[in-house]
Amino acid sequence: MSAQAWTQVAAAFAFAALASGLAWRLKLGLGSGIALAAVRATVQLAVVGLVIAVIYEHPPLAVAFVAAMLLTAALTSGGRLHAVHGSRIWAAVAIGLPALSATGLLLAVGAFEATPQAAIPTAGILIGGAMAATTLTGRRLIEALHDEQDAIEARLSLGDDVRSAVAPLVRRAVTTGLVPAIDQTRSVGLVSLPGTFVGLILGGATPETAARVQLVVLLALLAVELLAGLLIALTIVRRVTEPGAERINPPALG
Amino acid sequence: MLAAVPGPSISTALATGGVSATDLWLSRGGREILRGARLEVPRACVTALIAPSGAGKSTLLRCVTRLLDPDRGTITVGGQDVQTIPPRELRRRVGLVAQRATMFPGTVGDNVAYALEGVGPAHDRVRQAIEAAGLVGDWASRAADELSGGEQARVAIARALVRDPEVLLLDEPTAALDHETGELVGATLRRLAEDGIGICLAIHDLPFARRFADRAVHLDGSDATEAGRDEAPAA
Repeated sequence: MSAQAWTQVAAAFAFAALASGLAWRLKLGLGSGIALAAVRATVQLAVVGLVIAVIYEHPPLAVAFVAAMLLTAALTSGGRLHAVHGSRIWAAVAIGLPALSATGLLLAVGAFEATPQAAIPTAGILIGGAMAATTLTGRRLIEALHDEQDAIEARLSLGDDVRSAVAPLVRRAVTTGLVPAIDQTRSVGLVSLPGTFVGLILGGATPETAARVQLVVLLALLAVELLAGLLIALTIVRRVTEPGAERINPPALG
Repeated sequence: MLAAVPGPSISTALATGGVSATDLWLSRGGREILRGARLEVPRACVTALIAPSGAGKSTLLRCVTRLLDPDRGTITVGGQDVQTIPPRELRRRVGLVAQRATMFPGTVGDNVAYALEGVGPAHDRVRQAIEAAGLVGDWASRAADELSGGEQARVAIARALVRDPEVLLLDEPTAALDHETGELVGATLRRLAEDGIGICLAIHDLPFARRFADRAVHLDGSDATEAGRDEAPAA
């Protein structure tokens, strides 16, 4: 490694040591947690760096890498939605369908080069965004289905079908799931510089290129997260609906 | 009131649109909620279903409109098994007013018009339903979420009435009401029964049932007319 590389690593560990030491000194009970998180991040990023280096030499492996990212996202999000039977599979669909479709589209139209260097980070960002939207939307909807049974049954008693009876809940959940993406898009450049922009600038890209790529990613994220939220919401409604009976079996919270 | 049963005989009334539930059993979470429950709700008659809180009255009413299905037993509406009636059609014929009235966003008119496709809050049917529920005057334009518990209870009744149900099931309709408002609701229900609707009050308040019901039954179908106290044995 170059001298600058060693300096970067040393600076990173110095910040981790500062945070951990401060937490220990203030008796926040976070000292070991911060240290452990720093070690985990070091190991995970080192391994990812090595794996991606191998993928650059063997591009077809990029497919397996993206599949592993999707699997991890599905397990993470599905675990949060375990009140719904088969949640991990449905989370995989809700995350994977929009995120991979958008990635494929961006590569197919030539917005980004069809190389692992472009495909992996693009898929990663979109999968990450879809995962957050899936978890947020799904959790909010499950809670609403559980807490608002009186209102749902009132609508069903007035002749609504299940889809109409839960429509207000679905709308609220999808909106909640999309709020972070909308806020991120609205505040970009004013409150924070997002990761893609910073990474490209640090990697030597021109500010114009960084801004353009960031814009593509942000706007693609809006569509991907909206679709992910809608997919998981409709799936949850379908899973809790009793076929033919026009009623729901509210999921148990846990 | 309990001694005087107006209108047709129960069997005649049931055949023309009343509700009949026979030998209903239902367990949830290892607990038996309904144990052989029975209920007859003839049209043009107020039937009080008397049982203490938690005995299964709400569950029985939800079974009638298929918000739940019993594990065993038969429920008919107008002689037709509810399992053979499409749920939305069943819920049009049998209105259910829950114990806690849930108001939807908007005005009283919006709430009452909710169940009618293509009908606005100012429509005559909406106004008539509001009046039939005992809310006389300019109620349609008032914000539903600003009403008192008693007023919301009557809006919930109007919302069920606007669909012209054959039978109206009310779960503890006086629970959130003061005495005076309860009397108004009771009088409203009597008028509705006189118009031919079958009314069922699931209630633990026997004195109220005595004033406004034509007949009173326990969850096992036995006569509760002679019960001398508010609480009656569960099924």
